[in-house]
Amino acid sequence: MSNPADSFNIGRTSAEMRWIWIDKFVEFHSGESAVAVKNVTLAEEHLHDHFPGFPVMPETLMIEAMAQTSGILVGEAKNFQEKVILAKVKKCVFFDYVKPGDTLKLAAKIESIAPEAASISGKITCGEKLIAEIDLMFSHIDRNLAGKEFPEENFVFTDTFKSLLQGLSSDDGSSDALESGQD
Amino acid sequence: MRITTMAETMRFILIDKIISLESGKAIKAIKSVSLAEEYLADHFPTFPVLPGVLLLEGLIESASWLVREAENFAHSMLLLEEARNVKYKSFVAPGAQVEYTVEAKTVEDNISSFTGFGESDGERIVEARFGLRHFNLSDEDSTMAATDAKIIENMKKRWELLR
Amino acid sequence: MAMNRDEIFQEVQEVLIDALGVDNNEVTTEATLMGDLGAESIDFLDIVFRLEKAFGIKIPREELFPAESLMNNPELVNNGKLTETGLAELREKLPHTDLAAFENDPDINKLGDLFTVGAIVNYVDIKLNAA
Repeated sequence: MSNPADSFNIGRTSAEMRWIWIDKFVEFHSGESAVAVKNVTLAEEHLHDHFPGFPVMPETLMIEAMAQTSGILVGEAKNFQEKVILAKVKKCVFFDYVKPGDTLKLAAKIESIAPEAASISGKITCGEKLIAEIDLMFSHIDRNLAGKEFPEENFVFTDTFKSLLQGLSSDDGSSDALESGQD
Repeated sequence: MRITTMAETMRFILIDKIISLESGKAIKAIKSVSLAEEYLADHFPTFPVLPGVLLLEGLIESASWLVREAENFAHSMLLLEEARNVKYKSFVAPGAQVEYTVEAKTVEDNISSFTGFGESDGERIVEARFGLRHFNLSDEDSTMAATDAKIIENMKKRWELLR
Repeated sequence: MAMNRDEIFQEVQEVLIDALGVDNNEVTTEATLMGDLGAESIDFLDIVFRLEKAFGIKIPREELFPAESLMNNPELVNNGKLTETGLAELREKLPHTDLAAFENDPDINKLGDLFTVGAIVNYVDIKLNAA
């Protein structure tokens, strides 16, 4: 492996880039916790609407970033066999706003997990600053939402999401091992 | 420097039209969902539905307009401070429309709180309780007064398009 | 963990206020989770997780809220009402609930009314004392 950082770059086509709100995982402890990062940049066009003259990352997209970080954590805990979707935002609190140039760290922890659902707690920080606390519940939709129809295959965990985990060994997510480029 | 027009940058507005407003008290708005919205290709492939956080964004935007109108555009920045018990009950697919109903519980100078829900075709899609905070950048930094004015001017133009 | 009924009630009340976004004067012993407090499927799961953490117990979801599997089982339901077998199953699964009123008219649509705040308090009480 030439450069450990390459293993984190995901092979994306432009067709797959429209709803990914995290850039990579830096820690992953299967079934327990994970940390992802997201860079906020002026190149993100939606920022120009929110707000014109002073772009900040919309709070709902921060919720989505946490949902993706923790959704992958929950999905991986079940080997991506279940379609895991966001069912409830138990509580989210925002302490500060985030601007282009900021890098967010999203730390998610599984609080409870059962066959039908999972509950996670999350924190978003930017450097030393606490930006948000976000607690979510995921539902495994085949087991709930009786009567609604949706496709058989797991449309939630596409290759794009799974590839965010490449390069991370799932049973040891220590960042020391990752920085030294060893598996 | 990228020069943009209003039409070019309409990418993060999650309501299409405000359909009723009781000043300072309640607001209703609609959003139409179309396959033209690029993120639907990812959410999800083979099963496009409006992402849950964008349903919440629709409620937040509706509430924000209620506040902006009620306070006569006094503040530039309106941000979500907290949300609780946001429940997603069903999906909204392309071709459908969501109607948001938001009621204000309190609207004060710098904070406000709301309950709201979204319905589509008579079915409840989302409900939430949430609070906003409103401020001007110049509250902390007086050199930002011109930026505040610019944001407010843009919001007033947007209001004319939406109401 | 030794807790008396009042202490259990206080804790259950807090769990329901957080999970359902209701006020504390709505969470009375007789209040039904679905009818009065607006709880739905995802909330039931949220409540189970929170109760597990609050009381340090394991709650198989089937134990606390067995209604769904009963309601969907054609052998236990006839014409929208639970059969004798269905009622027997229910009695077995819900020792913490008073079924007298329900047994008079075992309409499955009324199963939800059985899930009261009091029933949860009873369940936790039994679980904590069995430990």
